Amino acid sequence: MGNCLKRVTGNQQDNTTLLSNNPEPNVSTSGSSQEGLGPPIPYNQAAYYPSIATRERHLQSTNLNIGRGIGVNLVQSTGSAGLSEEEQQVRIAKRIGLIQHLPMREYDGAKKGECVICMMELQAGEEVRYLPCMHTYHAICIDDWLLRSLTCPSCMEPVDAALISSYHPTT
Amino acid sequence: MSEPQSALLLRKQLAELNKNPVEGFSAGLIDDNDIYRWEVLIIGPPDTLYEGGFFKAHLQFPKEYPLRPPRMKFITEIWHPNIDKNGDVCISILHEPGDDKWGYEKASERWLPVHTVETILISVISMLADPNDESPANVDAAKEWRESYTEFKRKVARCVRKSQEECL
Repeated sequence: MGNCLKRVTGNQQDNTTLLSNNPEPNVSTSGSSQEGLGPPIPYNQAAYYPSIATRERHLQSTNLNIGRGIGVNLVQSTGSAGLSEEEQQVRIAKRIGLIQHLPMREYDGAKKGECVICMMELQAGEEVRYLPCMHTYHAICIDDWLLRSLTCPSCMEPVDAALISSYHPTT
Repeated sequence: MSEPQSALLLRKQLAELNKNPVEGFSAGLIDDNDIYRWEVLIIGPPDTLYEGGFFKAHLQFPKEYPLRPPRMKFITEIWHPNIDKNGDVCISILHEPGDDKWGYEKASERWLPVHTVETILISVISMLADPNDESPANVDAAKEWRESYTEFKRKVARCVRKSQEECL
């Protein structure tokens, strides 16, 4: 239960991802571009989630997603906490990179299933994301959520912890 | 453009709640043309101080629902440690994902996109039955609940009576 009183408390961030606690995450695909950015930015300080790029790709790759799934354009401008837009973009790009390590397939329709985020039945041909805990959602629904919180909405399993343990660097 | 998914999802829940009402509350829209603003009537849970009361509350959903939580505000006066004096409800499941201003909430205790009107109200009803005095929104109520329970009961009973009169 949370405290809604206005007061200053510690700034412990339980949702700071395990990845950002690492000196330099293995899954990083951007390499040297992150140098000089300082310590990882706590997730809750950036309220800017441009998931448009991923969504556009979804739409290009399949027409079936149009009109389905919780596709909300999330451009907010509340409290950027002194982050430049570029820094935020880098943060978001890192998270999108992480999300893309999660397997995604076209739903084969063999079994009945529901995406509990949009409460719609999964239809054959729709792009479905498989989380490490084996829960599945429309990619377009879960990707927007994972940009906000790296937690499975059904079992609350942290997604990044499982990703790290399953990731093998190739270099 | 067709209706956003958040509206479809809320409409679906409204239809489902109309078809299969859930015990303990009733739900509808404040304005039939605005799916994002709901009015709920919570029946004071049996065997609690709130038993017999009828508490009206409003839920305001953001366009980004279910990725972001609604805000909930009691319209009926209610004395409770986790409801502030303006009626705003303070429970962790209604706190934004990734938002950990207070420093001690786990991500799993905060908002999840699988929450529905029904699960939110079930949490609120359980909060009525079982206040959390470690994170009060109404400090005076929390203090009374802990230290002068008789006075706390008296205030709640007054709210219950008032809520019954307002409902008539």
